[in-house]
Amino acid sequence: MPTVSVKWQKQVFTGVEIDTEQVPYVFKCQLYDLTGVPPERQKITVKGGLLKDDGDWENLGVKEGQRLMLMGTADEIPKAPEKGPVFIEDLPEDEQGTAALGHTAGLVNLGNTCYMNSTVQCLHSVPELRLALKEYSAAVGTGIDPLLHSLTAATRDLFGELDKSLRPVAPIHFLTVLQKKYPQFAQQTNHGLYMQQDAEECWTQLLYVLSQRLQSVPQDEEEVTNPVVEHLFGIELKSFIKCAESAEESSESETVYTLKCHISSEVNHLHEGLKQGLKSELEKTSPILGHSTLHVKESHINKLPPYLTVQFVCFFWKRESNQKAKILRKVGYPLVLDVFDFCTEELRAKLKGPRKVYQETEDAKVGLKKKEKEGAEGVKALQNLGTSTSDENVEMVDDAGQHPSSSEKVCAPEPEVTGIYDLVAVLTHKGRSADSGHYVAWVKQDSGKWIEFDDEQPILQKEEDITRLSGGGDWHMAYICLYKARVALPH
Amino acid sequence: MAPEHPKESHQMDHDAQPPPPSSKSVVKDAKKKKDEKKDEDLSEEDQALKQQLELYVERVQDVDPAIQKVALEAMREEIRTATSSMTSVPKPLKFLRPHYGALKSYYEKMVNAELKRYLADVISVLALTMSEDGDRESLCFRLQGSVGDIGSWGHEYVRNLAGEIGNEFQQRQIEEQPVDDLMDLVKQIVPFHVKHNAEPEAVDLLMEVESLDLLVEHIDKGNYKRTCSYLTSFASYVPEPDDTLVLDIAYQLYCKFEKYPDALRVALRMDNTQYVKSIFAACKDFSEKQQLCYILARQGISLDLDGELADSNEQRDILQELISNSKLSEGYLTLARDLDVMEPKTPDDIYKAHLIDGRASAGASVDSARQNLAATFVNAFVNAGFGQDKLMTVPSTESLTGSSSGSWLFKNKEHGKASAAASLGLIALWDVDGGLPLVDKYLYSNDNHVIAGALLAVGIVNCGVHNECDPAYALLCESVNKEDPTTRIGAIMGLGLAYAGSQREEVLKLLTPIVHDFKVGIEVAGFAALSLGLVYVGSCNEDVAQSIILALMDRSEAELGEPLAHFLCLGLGLLYLGKQDAVDATMEVAKTLHEKISKFCQVTLDSCAYAGTGNVLKVQAFLSLCGDHLEKGDSHQAPAVLGIALVAMAEELGLDMAIRSLEHLLQYGEQNIRRAVPLALGILSISNPKISVMDTLSRLSHDTDSEVAMAATVSLGIIGAGTNNARIAGMLRNLSSYYYKDPSLLFCVRIAQGLVHMGKGLLTLNPYHSDRFMLSNVALAGLISFLHGSLDMKSIILGKYHYVLYFLVLAIQPRMLITLDENLKPLSVPVRVGQAVDVVGQAGRPKTITGFQTHTTPVLLATGDRAELATEKYIPLSSVLEGFVILKLNPDYQQDHLSS
Repeated sequence: MPTVSVKWQKQVFTGVEIDTEQVPYVFKCQLYDLTGVPPERQKITVKGGLLKDDGDWENLGVKEGQRLMLMGTADEIPKAPEKGPVFIEDLPEDEQGTAALGHTAGLVNLGNTCYMNSTVQCLHSVPELRLALKEYSAAVGTGIDPLLHSLTAATRDLFGELDKSLRPVAPIHFLTVLQKKYPQFAQQTNHGLYMQQDAEECWTQLLYVLSQRLQSVPQDEEEVTNPVVEHLFGIELKSFIKCAESAEESSESETVYTLKCHISSEVNHLHEGLKQGLKSELEKTSPILGHSTLHVKESHINKLPPYLTVQFVCFFWKRESNQKAKILRKVGYPLVLDVFDFCTEELRAKLKGPRKVYQETEDAKVGLKKKEKEGAEGVKALQNLGTSTSDENVEMVDDAGQHPSSSEKVCAPEPEVTGIYDLVAVLTHKGRSADSGHYVAWVKQDSGKWIEFDDEQPILQKEEDITRLSGGGDWHMAYICLYKARVALPH
Repeated sequence: MAPEHPKESHQMDHDAQPPPPSSKSVVKDAKKKKDEKKDEDLSEEDQALKQQLELYVERVQDVDPAIQKVALEAMREEIRTATSSMTSVPKPLKFLRPHYGALKSYYEKMVNAELKRYLADVISVLALTMSEDGDRESLCFRLQGSVGDIGSWGHEYVRNLAGEIGNEFQQRQIEEQPVDDLMDLVKQIVPFHVKHNAEPEAVDLLMEVESLDLLVEHIDKGNYKRTCSYLTSFASYVPEPDDTLVLDIAYQLYCKFEKYPDALRVALRMDNTQYVKSIFAACKDFSEKQQLCYILARQGISLDLDGELADSNEQRDILQELISNSKLSEGYLTLARDLDVMEPKTPDDIYKAHLIDGRASAGASVDSARQNLAATFVNAFVNAGFGQDKLMTVPSTESLTGSSSGSWLFKNKEHGKASAAASLGLIALWDVDGGLPLVDKYLYSNDNHVIAGALLAVGIVNCGVHNECDPAYALLCESVNKEDPTTRIGAIMGLGLAYAGSQREEVLKLLTPIVHDFKVGIEVAGFAALSLGLVYVGSCNEDVAQSIILALMDRSEAELGEPLAHFLCLGLGLLYLGKQDAVDATMEVAKTLHEKISKFCQVTLDSCAYAGTGNVLKVQAFLSLCGDHLEKGDSHQAPAVLGIALVAMAEELGLDMAIRSLEHLLQYGEQNIRRAVPLALGILSISNPKISVMDTLSRLSHDTDSEVAMAATVSLGIIGAGTNNARIAGMLRNLSSYYYKDPSLLFCVRIAQGLVHMGKGLLTLNPYHSDRFMLSNVALAGLISFLHGSLDMKSIILGKYHYVLYFLVLAIQPRMLITLDENLKPLSVPVRVGQAVDVVGQAGRPKTITGFQTHTTPVLLATGDRAELATEKYIPLSSVLEGFVILKLNPDYQQDHLSS
């Protein structure tokens, strides 16, 4: 019965006895007790190769005190994932390009149609809208403008082409339909070229058309009538109108698709511009006074959409020169926008819950990172990490449960808006007046990278360059910003 | 006499200058004339000397022998005592010049033998300035003169004599005349040179008269170092077989002064196992023996120490462990920890896409198998040897988040999975105990590609290290004959990597049947031949050669046309790596092969056999091969281009010339030559990013021919391998945005990026080490295999056989200096690291490094860097501070009171 030492990974087990009467399998079982490696995975080097389960100890000539090496682990055998990844190389040829580039194709300029191209690119960046359009197949109903349908269908086809194509897409059909529906876009210059148009007008009209035709995906029967566009972009404003003279008050609510950012000499930042945009003065006939008088209208947001559109009101009609002039003032805008201040009291109360949850998850993430750094000691730290995060999760649930306003929401399965928005697309204008210059769309991709869609040419951009589009010079200047809501998953 | 000198040299200065233009020249001319005039009318002292000498000359021709003798002695005295500056002839010689002819003709007439010898001495000295070129009169009269102290006539005289002896010796060799009288002179001159710090001249003289062995007895403790450094460095310029002779003398000298580590280096360079063994037998100090083992391990030589070579069994085990190189991983990680680079890096950390200006890919939304494969390689190269990374070895606890180790593997497609699994081996490089458990689970996969990769990983982990339990063979031997060709290739290549240079007989028995089994695919046979070539590299093994040649003869024309058939030739070539004319017999056989492969095989054999020899004739032969403009279909020019580089890489001068020749090939060569040139440039400047080569490659990386561009891109990685060179990294980043639409070129760019950041900048691919004195055969073989793989980029690297890239593992070595105490524990000492200066043949104790900085060990050494200890407290046991160096306490060291 020779005793040997067995080396396994970096450990050495000394004084292991071999019962040479028994088959080596018995020896392997001995080692199984020591190492936990199942006998069938054990590989032991002996003279001339590996130790066989039914080998003969005599022939192997194992000597007293010899060192054997045991290889093998109890690790799980890696299995191929059931659904293997799809590789570009496997895709049909025409889809390889977009997949490889990581962004969609550009749009060909059909003669001063950059306003349209940039609008389409911006709207194309909203996945929910794309999805809704994809499923759009409603037939032309009676009593509906057939052009509404054909323009929606044209948008659907154009979006589809953009998703697939490698090369720049020429939106000829879309343009024709658009011009048919809105003849003002078909205006031509003396030279027979299409005239430059206002992208904001195009945006508004296009959204109007889509809002007329698109219904939400019928998940449950009741929601069928819920229009998609309103759900995605509609901002419900609650306004208080106060008469300066009679101090009478009235309130009204409306749904708009864009928040206006007014640009005046005091406005340096989007926040200030929005505040001004929500406050206006208007002449109105007072029912009490019986004559027209100055009213102050102050609006607050009552419902937040998943996508918040902000328009910089940088064009105004200049009477003296009879043209649309542009304010070149620099108005900064953030990559992350918090609209909490513009909300009504009720909405604020509603937002509190999700915001707290959101804040906590953010904190947890930061805390997580901190701990990872501290825990250089491998597994131990990892275990700590596991316990600590789960503790936090429990706390969070408790917190949410205690809060009265969020307690109702807990049951809601849908994620809730937090009033915090991320910038996802910017439509910029470059030039001195609305009817000239150039429109470009800057769109954030799923990968977090920014692409500048300059008509047919998509160009990769850095995030810090996006905030530089705030105007104040002849460079591209933000005209419409599209923000996407950050959501918190209620517990 | 003294005041004369400045004026004389002054005048010489004027003569050297071109005549100054215009009015000034008139003034100068006047001045010159004045000088000449002054020369003519000598000072009184000189005048007296001149007259005196003339009188002696007259008296020498006197009839009275007594007067003659007095005159001769006086003349001799004058000559001997005359001193002179470096630029002028001693006065007595100058004044005697007009009488040279007269003295010579009188000499012929003289009868008195004794006086005749006396006069012969004088004439011999005068001949120093008078004799016509090629007359060798100085030597001639010396031989007829008295046999006196040769040094008494001054150093210049001896040097002149030595030169004439060389010429005379050659003359007599041709005419087959005896040379005994010359040898007597040589025996006088050599000690004189050696005594006067002119060892190189002594060596040169002895080389001329072909009796270098006389040197040994004259060298002493004070000058053996300079002598040996001269011998070893000029050995590269001596044609074989004389170079071995030169090295042999150096070896004897080192042995004589018990400098065993240096002697071992010379013995290894000569590839003389007998010498290696006798060094071990002679070396008695245990620490020094350990140092010897470290040197052996670096060269990758496995030596079995039997009873005589080690003092006790216990010591034997320690030494054997050092030779097995199993401490390499530990040392490398010590360095990494000291430099704080243990944190794993991801491919994205290397690509640094945020630094790319302007247009670039926004990152694929869909996984690209090719780019994932590139990321696999980059990850493997960058984290090579660290044992941890962020793709393959992520602990399974994180598998919940979907990033488990298995998932990256399966992000590779088909054969890509093989390379991905094999990358585990590279990540755990040299760490057999830690690496095999990582690989283990993949051996049980149900995917043949994964198994093949795991087998290859086993080979890679064991590359360059030997484990007493020999796990690689045990794990791989059975899979070699599996049915699936991919699995077989994995196991075969794994064996080749694990046992490269070991000449293991088991491997021979296992693989030779595969090589000449014509039933297996040519690709399996090709890899088997290549693995055998690696295992028996430079051994000229007959059995292996036979089986490969048989395979080359038996295979059909179609099979020989496959890209992997070239590996058969390469395997054959590696057997003769650096063995020069030992290849001749096989070369004759190669000429009889099928025409499809014959030429390719011959060139490959030639380029391997003369690789690292610096043989100029071979370089010329290859160049002339490249001059031909061939019909399409011939493929032998590409290995010829590589051959130029492989032969010329031996020494710096030839290397520079080869780079210039390659430039010509680029200009005038055909496309198939141009495609190989970037690779040749790569190997010439491997891990040594020279600006000129970098610029050439950068230009070629935008070449219109995509294969030239690909080769140039990969070569950029090769020349920057393991250097983290910022300039190359920048170039590659730009290339990655330039080629973002071309997946093949982008793949090459990624590979190059991975290579540049190999081991996070702690590694090198340079096969030369120990101050560029030694060439590691195994490393060179790995590089050649990789280069041959890259010659046919499209079908091999970009095809299914990308794991050929792992042949580079054979050349990977840490570029470090770790100092150890006598218990082999790391010891931190200050060292100066700077640019190495060539001090060969310089007198005195010149500085060996320049522009140095002081660091504390362990320290990183760049190519061309040299280190020296900055403390007197320790004495290094190896004169070359590279790799592992054991330090001994200096017994004479006294602690400085001020510094303590």
